[in-house]
Amino acid sequence: MPMVLTDLIRRVFLVDLIKGLKLTFSYQRPSATYTEQYPLERAPVAERYRGAPRLNNHPETGETLCIACNLCSLACPENLIAVGWARTEDRKKRLTTFTYDLSRCMFCGLCEDACPVDALELTQDFEIAQYSRQGLIWDRQALEEGPRPTRYTR
Amino acid sequence: MVQNAIEFLQAHLFILALIKILIVLLVLSGIVAYLVYMERKVLSFMQARLGPMRVGPWGLLQPVADGIKLLLKEDIIPAGADKFVFLLAPAISVMAAFTVFSVIPFAGNFYISDINIGLLFILGVSSLGIYGIILGGWSSNSHYPLLGALRSGAQLVSYEVAAGMALVGVLLISNSLSMVEIVNRQQQMGVWNVFLQPVAFVIYLIAAVAETNRNPFDLPEAESELTAGFHTEYSGFRFALYFLAEYTNMVVVSCIAVTMFLGGWLRPFASLRALDFLNYAPVVAFLGAGAFILWLGLKSLVPLERYFFLALALACLVLAGLVAIPAVLNAIQGIFWFGIKVLAFLYAFIWYRGTFPRYRYDQLMNVGWHWMIPIALGNLIVTALVRYFVSSPTPSALGAGLGG
Repeated sequence: MPMVLTDLIRRVFLVDLIKGLKLTFSYQRPSATYTEQYPLERAPVAERYRGAPRLNNHPETGETLCIACNLCSLACPENLIAVGWARTEDRKKRLTTFTYDLSRCMFCGLCEDACPVDALELTQDFEIAQYSRQGLIWDRQALEEGPRPTRYTR
Repeated sequence: MVQNAIEFLQAHLFILALIKILIVLLVLSGIVAYLVYMERKVLSFMQARLGPMRVGPWGLLQPVADGIKLLLKEDIIPAGADKFVFLLAPAISVMAAFTVFSVIPFAGNFYISDINIGLLFILGVSSLGIYGIILGGWSSNSHYPLLGALRSGAQLVSYEVAAGMALVGVLLISNSLSMVEIVNRQQQMGVWNVFLQPVAFVIYLIAAVAETNRNPFDLPEAESELTAGFHTEYSGFRFALYFLAEYTNMVVVSCIAVTMFLGGWLRPFASLRALDFLNYAPVVAFLGAGAFILWLGLKSLVPLERYFFLALALACLVLAGLVAIPAVLNAIQGIFWFGIKVLAFLYAFIWYRGTFPRYRYDQLMNVGWHWMIPIALGNLIVTALVRYFVSSPTPSALGAGLGG
């Protein structure tokens, strides 16, 4: 009998509805908001995230770290890296061109692993969309500039 | 100069009425536009989202953008539609919704007209709004709108009865149909009608949600079943009119509920001298709004918006200072309390939408006919009996009818 009574009270005073109202009300607290305002706020990507490639320069001299060993090109399963070099007078290899075709890249990171001098690196930048396939073929200059995250201004 | 103007207005009262109508119409349109913004914001917060953020600071210009978008859209009239009725229907809805405001007392000294059959007029005119929906649904020459319109008609018939009977309970206490008189009566008795008619209040609240076709009773527009219901075939400006009518109706039922049950423009516990400090609530409200805006500004990610919010917060501070002047404070007292109560109701409407899932059609009818109408009838009978045996209603005597 008390079971029936409590049920009746619950129905008459709309207890379940009020419980629901309480829940939705509590969700209005600012800390519950899940949305991130993308161009203004960016979600941090994982530490090991592999994004847009970059060709590192020596931080002091500004010269390229790449020794034109061509190992990255050999490691690449897609054969999308083309390293161009020339011999100097003392028979040393010097990097001339470096082409990286992002449109075919699957970001496996094998090139990065193969690099003996940490010149080639896959950064955490993920904003690499382009309007044409041509724009995805990065030359040495673009690679050395590194990631260019979109700056959002209003 | 000012004296002349006042004399002129007193001589030509209709001009004063026209000015009042203009003020109410413009303010109301603005309120309705921002009601849509408020709905989107509150709903999104309840769903752990942010809502409109990109058009203006915190999306504040979103209603303007929406309006422009709707006005620029192509106005499509389906082939085979009854063109005249199709064009007329949204106008009927909007006119019915706006006409009701002519008898709603926004404050003790601010209303367009006070007629002795005020409530009857409101019920009559607001029921006309359903014609807009039914005619619109029928003239579209399409099955979804027709079904939506039929549902809307059935729903209104079912719930208007319960709402009407709930309101009659209040009328028995107030001895008048005039909206102003009903509020005055509550002032004389020193108690709001909610406390005398709690059951009627709850019934009216539920019926009001059903009558405005809002969640959880929005079956006429149940998108999973009827696409968009009665306005499926409407686009552009005519769709905007329906939209306007729906939200205006929300304000209408909130205004009626506040006037009938929550003492209209009266301050809470207006008869208690000890609570006179509540008269300063407008000042506190403006200060609070300023603080809130400042907090929003500090959280804002765009530098330009920070300056905007700072300016807005300063404006609120200035307004709070202005309102603190005793003469101004007295002048806005009524409209402030009325506005706050209506706002609370509107918030509740949105709150329900964010919480409750839609009723099935048979459930809707079940709640309407098996619960609402019998309870409303019972409440009416008990109130009438108490009223009959206690000829001059005093709060303490009518307190006996609390359970009724």
